Amino acid sequence: MARINFQDLILRLQNFWAERGCMIEMPIDIEVGAGTMHPATFLRVLGPEPWKVAYVQPSRRPADGRYGDNPFRLGKHYQFQVVLKPSPINVQDLYLDSLRAIGLDLTRHDIRFEEDNWESPTLGAWGVGWQVLLDGMEITQFTYFQQAGGIDLSPVSAEITYGIERLTMFLSRQSSAFDIGWGGGFTYGDVRKQDEYEFSKYYFEVADIDLHWKLLEQYASEARRCLDHELVFPAYDWTLKCSHIFNTLDARGAVSVTERVAVIKRVRDLAVACANQYLESRREMGFPLLPASEAAS
Amino acid sequence: MAEYFFELLTEEIPAWMHDAAQATLRQQLSQIVPGSEVYVTTTPRRIIFFLSKLPLRENDREEEVKGPPRKAGEQALLGFLKKNNATADDILEGGDYVRIRRKIAGRGTDSILQERVPAIVEGLRWPKTMRWNGGAHAYIRPIHSVLSIFEGKHLPVAIFGVASGATTVGHRTLAPGTITVSGYNDYVTKLELARVVIDATRRRHVMAERARILANAIHGTPSLDATIWSQWQYLTEYPGVLRAEFRPEYLALPEEVLVTVMRVHQKQLPIRGANEKLTNSFLAVIDNEADPDGNAAYGNAFVTNARFADAKFFYDTDRRKPLADRLDQLTHLQFQEKLGNYFEKTKRIEAIAQSICPHLNLETADTLMAARLCKADLVTEMVKEFTDLQGQIGGIYAREEGYSNDVWQAIYDHYLPINIEDALPRTLSGAIVSIADKIDTLTGFFRIAVRPTGSRDPFALRRAAQGIVQILLNRDKRQVRLGIDQLIDFALAAHNDAGNAAVRNDLLAFFEERVRTLLEISQYGFAYDEIAAAMAAGWSRSLTDLVDRIHALKAIRNEANFLSILDSAKRIANITAGHASNRVDAKKLEDTTEKRLDELATAVGEQVDEMIAERQYRRALESFAAMAPELEKFFDEVMVMVDDPAVRSNRMSLLRKVGDAVMKIADVTKIVVDRS
Repeated sequence: MARINFQDLILRLQNFWAERGCMIEMPIDIEVGAGTMHPATFLRVLGPEPWKVAYVQPSRRPADGRYGDNPFRLGKHYQFQVVLKPSPINVQDLYLDSLRAIGLDLTRHDIRFEEDNWESPTLGAWGVGWQVLLDGMEITQFTYFQQAGGIDLSPVSAEITYGIERLTMFLSRQSSAFDIGWGGGFTYGDVRKQDEYEFSKYYFEVADIDLHWKLLEQYASEARRCLDHELVFPAYDWTLKCSHIFNTLDARGAVSVTERVAVIKRVRDLAVACANQYLESRREMGFPLLPASEAAS
Repeated sequence: MAEYFFELLTEEIPAWMHDAAQATLRQQLSQIVPGSEVYVTTTPRRIIFFLSKLPLRENDREEEVKGPPRKAGEQALLGFLKKNNATADDILEGGDYVRIRRKIAGRGTDSILQERVPAIVEGLRWPKTMRWNGGAHAYIRPIHSVLSIFEGKHLPVAIFGVASGATTVGHRTLAPGTITVSGYNDYVTKLELARVVIDATRRRHVMAERARILANAIHGTPSLDATIWSQWQYLTEYPGVLRAEFRPEYLALPEEVLVTVMRVHQKQLPIRGANEKLTNSFLAVIDNEADPDGNAAYGNAFVTNARFADAKFFYDTDRRKPLADRLDQLTHLQFQEKLGNYFEKTKRIEAIAQSICPHLNLETADTLMAARLCKADLVTEMVKEFTDLQGQIGGIYAREEGYSNDVWQAIYDHYLPINIEDALPRTLSGAIVSIADKIDTLTGFFRIAVRPTGSRDPFALRRAAQGIVQILLNRDKRQVRLGIDQLIDFALAAHNDAGNAAVRNDLLAFFEERVRTLLEISQYGFAYDEIAAAMAAGWSRSLTDLVDRIHALKAIRNEANFLSILDSAKRIANITAGHASNRVDAKKLEDTTEKRLDELATAVGEQVDEMIAERQYRRALESFAAMAPELEKFFDEVMVMVDDPAVRSNRMSLLRKVGDAVMKIADVTKIVVDRS
C-alpha cells in the first residue's frame, strides 16, 4: 500500500494526465461548487473543438461545512478534474491506469463502476456515468457529458473527477481528512482546520442575508450587462458568483421553496445564455482549435 | 442442429436494468427461429446469448405469384416469366390473370441471424441512453467489441458500426488481457480462467452461500433482502462477499437508520445476531473471490463509518429541537404549489382525524397529537438525508421525547401501507392518521383537477386511495362504520369545501375502481360478478359490510333455491324495466296466487330488513330464496302484461316489491350462472 500524501497524489495525477496529452490548467479564481463549473470544462465541452485538460479545483459547498468536526465532510474540498473531448473509447482503461500510477495494485483492490448520473440544474447540464468505488468507497465521479447550458454536446466529453482528500485518506490509512499529510511536513488540518471552522460558522450563522440578496441581484444584472456587450467570459464569472451567493443563502437557511426555484432558474438562464454566446463566438472565429482538415469541412 | 453464440462487450450497465433487458432479449431471440433454445445472461459489461437447436436453414416453400391479365398479350407475359425466372410450363390454369407457382429456397440460418441479431440488440430499449465519442449513436453505454460465432465460425455482424471479431477481454482488473475465442464452450472456459463467471444465477448462488457462511462464522444471519441479490449479481463478474465491522458505538443510532444506510446507500447486508438484534458486522459485495490484503474490508468499514458519522451528526442536531417546536418550520415547506405548505396540511390532517375519532369511540388526545406531529420530521436533517425514512424518524424521535406508544407508533406508521403487500399501521391511531393524511392528499389534488391519467400518476394518488381501502377493509371492525363517503365529506370540510358534489362524485368513482380491483385480487377469492352484485347495492358506507355481503352471496350462489330465484329475479328485472314503484294496491289484486305472493313478499321483506340490521346477510338471502316456488307459480299462473293498465301496473309493482327485497344486499341479477 502506497502511503502518499495529498500533494504527492496531485503531482502524480498531474504527471499521469500530462503524459497522456492533457494540458494542466490552473483552478478558476472564483468560488465554485465543483470543477465542472470552471470554464475549462463548462464552456470548452461546447461545440466541435477538441480539448484535453486536467486541473485541481478548490470546491466550496457551504451547506456541507461541519465546523471542522466531521472527519469526512468539508465545506471546501479539492477536486482533481480531467476532461477529454471527444471521449476516447479507452477512457476507462486510461482511468484505471491513473489509479495504478498513484500506486494502487488493482489486483488487490475492489474496483467497481456503479451507475451514478450527474445533473446540475443551475448549469442546465447533465451526463451519464458512474461513481467509481474503490474498495466500496466512492473516489471518482465519471461522466459522459450529454448536455451543457441546455445544448446537446457533440462530440461527447468524458469528465473524470477525483475526490482527492478521500483518496489520500484511504491510501494513507487515515480516518480523518484533517490527519492526512499535505506535504512539506504539514497536515491537511494544519492548513484547513481553522478556515473550515470559520467558514462553517460564517455560512451557517453569520453571513448577512440582506447583503447577499442584494449581491445576488447586482451580480445577476452585471452578468446580463456583460452578455449585452458580448463579453462571455466576464458574464460567466458573474454567473458563477451568483451561484455561490445562492449556495451561501441556502446554507444560511434563507431561501424558501419558491425562492429556490426562482433563483435556480435565474442562474440557469444566465448559464444557458453564456453557453450559447460562447458557442456563437467560437463559431464566428471558425472554431480555431479544430484540426485544419475538419475546420475546412 | 446448429449453434450460435454472441457477446456484446460494453461499459458497466446499471445493475437494475439487467433483468428487464434479459427478458426482452429472451423473448425476441426465441422468435428468430421457433423451437430453438435460447440462453441469455449478462455481466456488468457483457450481454451474452447462446442459441441452440437451430436448423442450418429454413425449409423451402412455394408461393403463388400473380402476373399480368391473360389478355394483356405476349410481351407482358414474357416479361413476367423472365422476371420470375419461369417458363410457360409453370403457368397455372384458370383465372383472368396469369399465375405461376414459384419455389422459394429457405434462407440459411446464418443470414437470418446476420439480419435479426443486430436489429434486436440495437433495438433494445434502455431506460436511459447516452452518446459517446462523436455522438453518432445512443445506447446504454459505449460499445467495445462484438463476438458472433455460428457453427464454430465467425459470422460477421456489426452493432452500431462496431464489427464483430474473434476476441474479447477478461476481468477488468484481475485478467484484463485480450482473449481469442473459437466458440461458446471455449468462451465459457477461457472467461472462467480470466475471472469472469458469465452466468448471473451462478454468481448469485456463490454470493448467497458465501454470505451465509461469513455470517454463521460469527453466529449471525444475513439480514436478507430480495432486492440485494439482483443488485449484487450485476455488480460483479467474479462474485465475492466480504465481512467487515463498523464502530460499535454507532449501534446507538436508530436501527432503521443503520439498516437504510447499509442497504440502500451502501448496498451492504446487515448481520443479525441470535436475538435478531443488529450486530456491528455487515456483508459487502466485491468483484473478486477474496480480499487478499483486507483492503476492501477496510474500505467498506471506512465508508460505512463515515456515513454513520454523518448520520450521528444529523441525529445529534435533530435531537436539540423537539418535534413540537418544528411545526412553524413546516410553513416553509411546500406540499404542492396550489395546496399550500405542510403546516396547512397538518392542520387538515388533524381536523379530519378529529372528525373520524368520534365514530370509533376513541379517546382522541393521542391520535390528535400524532396527527399534529406526523409531518414534523420532514424538516429534520435525518429525513432530508434519508428521505425513505420519513415517518419512521418522526416516530423514533417522538418515542425518545417520551410520547406514549400510541403517539409514536402512529407517527411511525402513518405512511403505511406503501403497496399492496405492505403492513398496515399497527394501531388504530396510526390507521386514522394514515387515512386522514391520504384522504387529504386525494381530496386536495382532485380539487385542483390533478388526477391520474393512464399510466401517469406522479403524486401516487392510486396508491393513496388503495392504502385507505386496505386499511378500511382490515380495520373497520364490526362496531365501526367509517364509510368512504363520510371520509370524503370530512376531507372536503377540512378543505373548506363541504358539499362540493363534483369532487365528491369524482372521488367516489375513483375509489369504486380501487375497491373493485382490491377485492378482485384479495385473499378472499371473490368472483367479479359477486363483487359487482354486492357493490351495486352500495359500497361506500362500509367496506367490511360490503365484504360480508359478498361472502353471503358466495356461500349461497350454488344452492338450488337461490339458483331458481336468480332466474326469476332476472325475469323480474326484464319485465319491470322502467317501472319504479314497488307499492302494491292489495285491493286490486285479483287471484289468490298473486295475493299469496304479496303477503309473502311483505313478510319476507320485513324479515330481510331485520336480518340486514343484524348483518345476517346469508340468512336474509335464504329468506329471499325461499320465495322461489311461490314466485314460479306466479309466473306460471298470472299474466302480468294484461291490457288493463291499472292491473298491469299493480302486478309490476308486486314484482318490484319481490325483487327489491334483497336490493339492499346485492343486485342478484348481476350474478352469472354457469349452466354447463
